[in-house]
Amino acid sequence: MSRWAKQIQMQCKIPAIGVASSNIVHYATGYVQKYQTGMPIRYVSVPFPFTGQPRTVDVGYVTGKDMLTGQPMMTAVANALTSPLTAEEKISGAAPEEAVEPRLLPPDSEENLRALFEDREWTDFNSIILPTEKRVTAMLKGTSHKPDEVITTINITGGARQLTVEKVAISAVMAGASPEHFPVILALATQAPFGNSTSSMANMVVISGPIRNKLKFNCGTNAMGPYNRSNAVVGRTFTLMSKTAGDLRNNVNAWETLGNTMQYNNQCYGENEEALPEGWDPLHVEMGFKPTDNVLSVGMGWSSIASVGASQSIYPTHYLMRDYMSSFCASGSAATIVIDPTVAGLLKDVHGFKTKAQLSEWFSQNVTKVNASYWGNGVIQSTAVPFALQGLEPYATWRKLPDDALIKPFTNPKAIHVVVAGGKVQTMWFVTDFGIRRGVSIDHWM
Amino acid sequence: MKPRLFPTVLLTALVLALTLSSRALPKTAQEAGSSAKSGQDAAGSAKETVPFPQVPRITAEEVERLAKDDGNVVFVDTDDPEAYAAEHIKGAVNVAYDPTVDAREQDQLLSALPGDKLIVFYCNCAHEEDSAPMVLEMWELGYDRAKVKALKGGLTRWEQLSYPLVGTDVDAAHEKGAK
Repeated sequence: MSRWAKQIQMQCKIPAIGVASSNIVHYATGYVQKYQTGMPIRYVSVPFPFTGQPRTVDVGYVTGKDMLTGQPMMTAVANALTSPLTAEEKISGAAPEEAVEPRLLPPDSEENLRALFEDREWTDFNSIILPTEKRVTAMLKGTSHKPDEVITTINITGGARQLTVEKVAISAVMAGASPEHFPVILALATQAPFGNSTSSMANMVVISGPIRNKLKFNCGTNAMGPYNRSNAVVGRTFTLMSKTAGDLRNNVNAWETLGNTMQYNNQCYGENEEALPEGWDPLHVEMGFKPTDNVLSVGMGWSSIASVGASQSIYPTHYLMRDYMSSFCASGSAATIVIDPTVAGLLKDVHGFKTKAQLSEWFSQNVTKVNASYWGNGVIQSTAVPFALQGLEPYATWRKLPDDALIKPFTNPKAIHVVVAGGKVQTMWFVTDFGIRRGVSIDHWM
Repeated sequence: MKPRLFPTVLLTALVLALTLSSRALPKTAQEAGSSAKSGQDAAGSAKETVPFPQVPRITAEEVERLAKDDGNVVFVDTDDPEAYAAEHIKGAVNVAYDPTVDAREQDQLLSALPGDKLIVFYCNCAHEEDSAPMVLEMWELGYDRAKVKALKGGLTRWEQLSYPLVGTDVDAAHEKGAK
C-alpha cells in the first residue's frame, strides 16, 4: 500500500495516504518509518475485518474514528493530507543498515545460548541441537558444494538475504539432521522460505527416487506421522531455515492468524514407489525426471480431508474424493491426493484408471462447485477476480453466472497430483489443496 | 558441580546478512544479468547478450496468427498496472514483474492462469528481461514448458507491426486522430 501511495504522490503529484486495517497498521507504519525515509506515507486505520461485513458496518468505519489518532475519520484523513511534515518525516536518504551480528557467537553456557535462540525466535520452540562450529563443519561434509555458495536470495521486509550452503548447514544441525541428509536439505533450501501468509498456509515435501531407501525415508505405514528420523529432520529443517533466513517472527513479520501445525514438519514423506500399480508413474517421473533421479517436490496449501474409514463398494472411492475436493477453493486448480497403495490398486483395477493422469483428468472434469462458493473465497478474490475483470476465461464467464450455477473449478488437470504413500493397512486417503511445484534435483546437491 | 558448556556457535544463518544490499532479483535473474555483463566484458564491445537464453521466444507474427486461428492464446503483460492501463495487447491480462514482492503471493496469481492454453508473456523491454523470468517461474509452478513463452521484441515489436492494442493512450490517440 505504501508503494501505491508513493506512486500516486510521485507520478500524479497528488498527496496520498494509506488506509490500513487495525491488524496490520503498526506493521505498515513501522515499515514506512524504517524503509521509506524521504517519502513518508501516512496512514489512517479502520477496524478489522472489513470484508464479509454488512455495508452499514463499513460505512460506520468511514463515519467513525480513525484508530490511530482517535479523530473523526475524515478529519484524520484531511490532517494526514495537509499537515506539515514532522522532523522525523523529513529524514531523508537510505534507511540505516541494521547491525550485522558476528558470524560466531561468543562462548556461553548451553542454557544461555538456548535462551538466546528462543529470544530471537531462531527456533520452532522444540529443542534444537546448538550449531557449534564443529557440528556445522561436519554437516558441510555432506555436500561437494562450497559453504559460501548462494542457493537463493530471499526477499524480506526492506531488503534481501542470501541463503548460503553454510547457513543451511546451521539449520540442518539445529534440526538434528546428519550429513547424509544434507543434499536433500540443500535441494529443499532452493524453495525457502516456506509459504507463509495471514491465511495460515502450510507445506508438503515429497521425496522421490532411490534416495528414499538409501536414507530410510518412510514411505509406508505412518509415512506422514512422527515415526521416522529422516522424514522428521528434513521436514523440520525447512521450518528452521524459513524462520531464520526468512526472518519470520511472530507478530513482527509472520502474521498467520491461526498458524498451521503442519508447519512444524511440513508433511515430509516419501512416495511408496515400490507399491505403485503398474502404469502409475512416480511423482518425479510424471514431472519429466528419470526413475533413477533423486528429486524433492514442495507443495503449498491449507487443507486436508481424510477418507476416515475404509472404502465402500456402495460409493466408489473416487466419487467420495470428488465430493470432498469440491470443498476446496481450487486456487490455481491445485490439489494433491495422497493415497494408500490399496486405494491406488482399487482405482486402477476396479475403476479403470490406468494412469495417475487419467485420474487427475477425471477430477478436473467431475469436481463441481457452486459458483457463489467459488467467488466467496478470499484467495480467489485476490487472484481470479483481477483476471475476470480483464476478460480472461473462464473467470470472466463464471463471474456472470448465477450464484447457484455449478462450475468446474479444477480447470488444469496437470495441477492435480496423485502421490501413493502408506503401508497397505487401510484403504485410506487424503485429498488436499496443496499445489506442488516442479521437483528439484537432490543429485545436484550431492 | 556440573561443568558449564561453552559451545562456540556459528551464527551465520541467524545473522541473516541484514545489510540492505541490492533489492534482489530472483537468483536466475541475477545470474542472467551477470552473464550478460561478463559477455560484454569478454567481447570488449557493446554486443548484447540475450538474457535467459533457455526461455523460448515466439515471434509477434507467429503468435498473432495463432491467436487469430484458434484464440487459444493468453497474453500476459508484465509491466506495471499504469503502463498496462495505458497500452497493452488486446485481450492481455496484467501480472506485473516485480522481483521485490513476495514470490509466493505472485505465484498464487500466476497459478490462476489457464493450463490448457498457450501463455505468452511480454514486456516493454528490449530483450524480454521482465517477461522471461516470469516464464521460468511458470515452469517452476509445473506449467507445460511448451505452452509458456516470451514474446520476442515485446510490446515494441507488436506495435511496429501495427497489431491491435488497447488502453487509455490508444484511446486518446484515436480521439486525437478523429479530430
